[in-house]
Amino acid sequence: METLMAFLTVFLDPELLILVAVGTFAGVYVGAIPGLSVTMAVSILISFTFSWEVYPAIALMIGIYMGGVYGGSRTAILLNIPGAPSAIATAMDGYPMAQRGEAGTAIGVTTVMSFIGGFIGIAVLALAAPLVSDFALRFQPRDYMLLAVLGILLVGSLSQGSLVKGIFAGAFGIAIGAVGRDPLTFAERFTFDLRIMESGISFIAVMIGMFGVSEALLQLHHVDRDAVRQKITRIVPSLATVRKHLPLSLQTSTIGVVIGALPGTGGDIAALMAYDHAKRVTKNPEVPFGKGAMEGLVAPETANNAAVGGAFIPMITLGIPGDAVTAIMIGALFIHGLNPGPMLMIDQPDMFWFIVGSLVAANVFMLIFGLTGIRLFTKIVEMPRSVLIPLIMLLSIVGAYAVNNSITDVYWMLGFGIFGYFMRHYGYPLGPVILGVILSRLLDDNWRRAIISEREDLGRFFYGVVTSPLSLVLFVSVILIFLSQTPLWARGKTRIFGHREGSTPQ
Amino acid sequence: MKRFALGAVAAAIALSATGAFAEYPEKEIQGIIQWGAGGSTDTVMRSVTPHAEEALGGTVVMQNMTGGVGAIALNSVADGEADGYTLLMGAENPLLYKVMGLGDKDYSDFTAISILARGTPVLVARPDAPFDDYAGMMDYIRANPGEVRFGATGPGGLPSVITAMISTVEGGLDVIAVPYDGDGPALTALQGGAIDVMPAVLGASIEGIRAGNMKPLAIFDVEKNAKLPDAPIVTEFNEAYDTYLPWGPFFGVFVKNGTPEDVVAKLQAAYAEGAKNPDFVQLMDDRGFTMLGLTGAEAEEFLSTWQQGTTWLLQDAGLTQTSPEEFGIARPGE
Amino acid sequence: MDLIDPDHHDGTSDATPGGEPTHRRPGEMVFGLFLLGASLVLMWSAYGISGFKALSAPGTVPMATTAVMVVTAALVVLRTRRLPLDTTETVAKDILPGVVILVAALLVGYGLLLRPLGFLPTSALFLIVAIKALSRRGWGWTLGVSLGSLLVVWLIFRIVFSVLMPAGIVPEGEIIQVFRDLVGGSA
Repeated sequence: METLMAFLTVFLDPELLILVAVGTFAGVYVGAIPGLSVTMAVSILISFTFSWEVYPAIALMIGIYMGGVYGGSRTAILLNIPGAPSAIATAMDGYPMAQRGEAGTAIGVTTVMSFIGGFIGIAVLALAAPLVSDFALRFQPRDYMLLAVLGILLVGSLSQGSLVKGIFAGAFGIAIGAVGRDPLTFAERFTFDLRIMESGISFIAVMIGMFGVSEALLQLHHVDRDAVRQKITRIVPSLATVRKHLPLSLQTSTIGVVIGALPGTGGDIAALMAYDHAKRVTKNPEVPFGKGAMEGLVAPETANNAAVGGAFIPMITLGIPGDAVTAIMIGALFIHGLNPGPMLMIDQPDMFWFIVGSLVAANVFMLIFGLTGIRLFTKIVEMPRSVLIPLIMLLSIVGAYAVNNSITDVYWMLGFGIFGYFMRHYGYPLGPVILGVILSRLLDDNWRRAIISEREDLGRFFYGVVTSPLSLVLFVSVILIFLSQTPLWARGKTRIFGHREGSTPQ
Repeated sequence: MKRFALGAVAAAIALSATGAFAEYPEKEIQGIIQWGAGGSTDTVMRSVTPHAEEALGGTVVMQNMTGGVGAIALNSVADGEADGYTLLMGAENPLLYKVMGLGDKDYSDFTAISILARGTPVLVARPDAPFDDYAGMMDYIRANPGEVRFGATGPGGLPSVITAMISTVEGGLDVIAVPYDGDGPALTALQGGAIDVMPAVLGASIEGIRAGNMKPLAIFDVEKNAKLPDAPIVTEFNEAYDTYLPWGPFFGVFVKNGTPEDVVAKLQAAYAEGAKNPDFVQLMDDRGFTMLGLTGAEAEEFLSTWQQGTTWLLQDAGLTQTSPEEFGIARPGE
Repeated sequence: MDLIDPDHHDGTSDATPGGEPTHRRPGEMVFGLFLLGASLVLMWSAYGISGFKALSAPGTVPMATTAVMVVTAALVVLRTRRLPLDTTETVAKDILPGVVILVAALLVGYGLLLRPLGFLPTSALFLIVAIKALSRRGWGWTLGVSLGSLLVVWLIFRIVFSVLMPAGIVPEGEIIQVFRDLVGGSA
């Protein structure tokens, strides 16, 4: 009974409900603008809500978080510029749809699927938090490393042009991620003895440059052409569409929850992995992937919103942040006199149920705000390109600066913008670069931790891999996925089954 | 709208010109936090500053500037103007930059507004580790050299200082040091069994200890801690630790040297007032921090003692790039 | 995979990169050689981090990745060399038209002026010049659109999100404080 009351707190207090609504609404816009991040917004809210009670403060932050994760998809679909890292995969099929004038449909599907994903994440949080956090804790450095390798194999599905160029782009991304002082030993890497390089290259600066500025530069080629008129007649997807994609969305939500719950991995990796999964399991998409496949929207959007619930799991049960935003929320709880940690669930079970309740409320508001106000968004896109392009560039500059208050990041962003422009022209896919940057530290740090823990002994390392069930499963998946991308496998399959299945990406 | 805005800007410029001799602070102050959002430095600064703002009658806009173990933020403030409009909100690391080869500046280039508080180190182990206290751990390490995995956070971090201390006092410590990028991730790894022992700050591990997810082997202090009265202190096991303790990481607010004295005095008064706020005191107490509130000569004394002790400890353990002697840092007691 | 017609595709979606699988675009070889050269420099630099000291050395993963870069960049160069040049395209028309060079130059100028001049004047200049050049409309319209949108961006980032962009020659801090005093005084 008390549990139910704690859960309902947010719904019974109009002030809290309004705060969640305001937060969600603001979050959608914060997420949609490439330069504004949820992390930034939440950390500003700490000072802003300093003198508030803890419930209103948390309610507002949860709203922003939920809305922000969803909002990134808006600009990804309409402008081919992901508003947040977790929307990178969304752009790959969302933008082609917008180019056909189907932005309304794309946004509708995205919204409903984000809602479903968000809801599954919350359900897992509410029902199985202790179980999932136990599982997440079991990941050892070698498991994180294998997970990173698994992630790197996604290069195959992110590079539609030439696989060799994709592999190059992925390796380049990993190298970008290594620039600066190594966080583990403080050795300088790729700094060429320049002080400006010591702090490394901000991942957000790379993303904004490659996706924002280079896209804007490319659109200069058609500055005089009118934007595609968007039909916004049918936004809410039919029940049949939702039902058709339900099995896929359940699978990708599971990916989202687990990746979100792991400390150190978040919605961005989850969305890319889900996209890859969708490509793997969808045998005959109505429209090919990369050309506007519905499945290409369903997968990343369910996964990144499911990751929100996932990220709260270790935060509430153990006081361990699941991602950057929950890390700041832990700080907020401290400031408000609570002690987030394993005892929070025991000392203050109401807090847990209040967070679950607020997440549910935020998820519902996200659905409402997501399905309204689309007309305004599409109007922005229909602005003349001569105004839109300079504005995108200005936002990219401010956004790159805002990440770490550093002009150096602005220079990097501009540099990668111009470099990305050439990469696009010559058929080098950009997705793998971002993938490489995201995974760089996960791979590098955990490889070193794993091998140091085994006293630099490869034999002991592999013994560890084969004797741990979790590592073994990950290791076998790596091998299988790797083999499935080599030509040998396809040939073998043809011989066994006697026919080619679908069209394998080159 | 546009005309209104332009008019307003013009009016504002006129107003600010007449108020040129207004008292400090006549504009918002930038507070540069050396570490990322959500970390302990960030949390401490974001909870004390609003109280200090009240006493100051101004606004402090806090920004996180990470990278280079905090050196990026330190250099950025040092490169700015000494007008009191840029504050450095940092931790203990800059005192080690010189010997670690991470930079050529440290707190001697800054004036302390307030050394707010000091943390207490504690050695924690995963609950199923085959030892229950410091003595048991040392015996186990001697029996199984090179097998116990210690968490680390890079050269100069708290774990490296504590392991250097153990190795100096006990005459060697043969363990594997697994590097993490902060005590948060390392303590997570400890609970998952990826490492066996972690030297951490009490505030970061206190909740885990209370829940039984990690066990305290010894508190690195000379007296028992009120937060964990049952946990043994390390001097109970080996009195030789008395030379080095109490020792701990600290948090402080600084301005660049050369800032006008009245501005420094104002800021010092504001932060002294802010640190007295009962909410803040409660927060720090809950996390096991010892309030210091040092300024002026006291702060300088604290910083130089801390730097001497720690740099020479690291030097003797062979962890430094350059000897502290090169920078005129005297060996303690000399 | 469908052939992408350079005149009709706009190369904007990441999923369909603008390269041509069957032809060599102008400048593609130069870009490929540049990447190969850069990869070699990076590989040498990665070796310099820690050499072949240990499996766990900070240079191990960088060496492995830069080696992959060198191999793939070399493969790309070899493949590109074999492709026939696309004679329908020229660098000046399809790769780097004047308008792109102009805007890229504006961006570089922005980067150079940001610190000395400050955020507001630099951005105003950038928006006015870029919008004027791209839209070729009247000055009144250009100024209105640029300054209006700059004001909105400034309000969001500076006031709501307290992002302190370099102030340069505009005493932003003092102006805001005056407003704050006005509001605080009347409240």
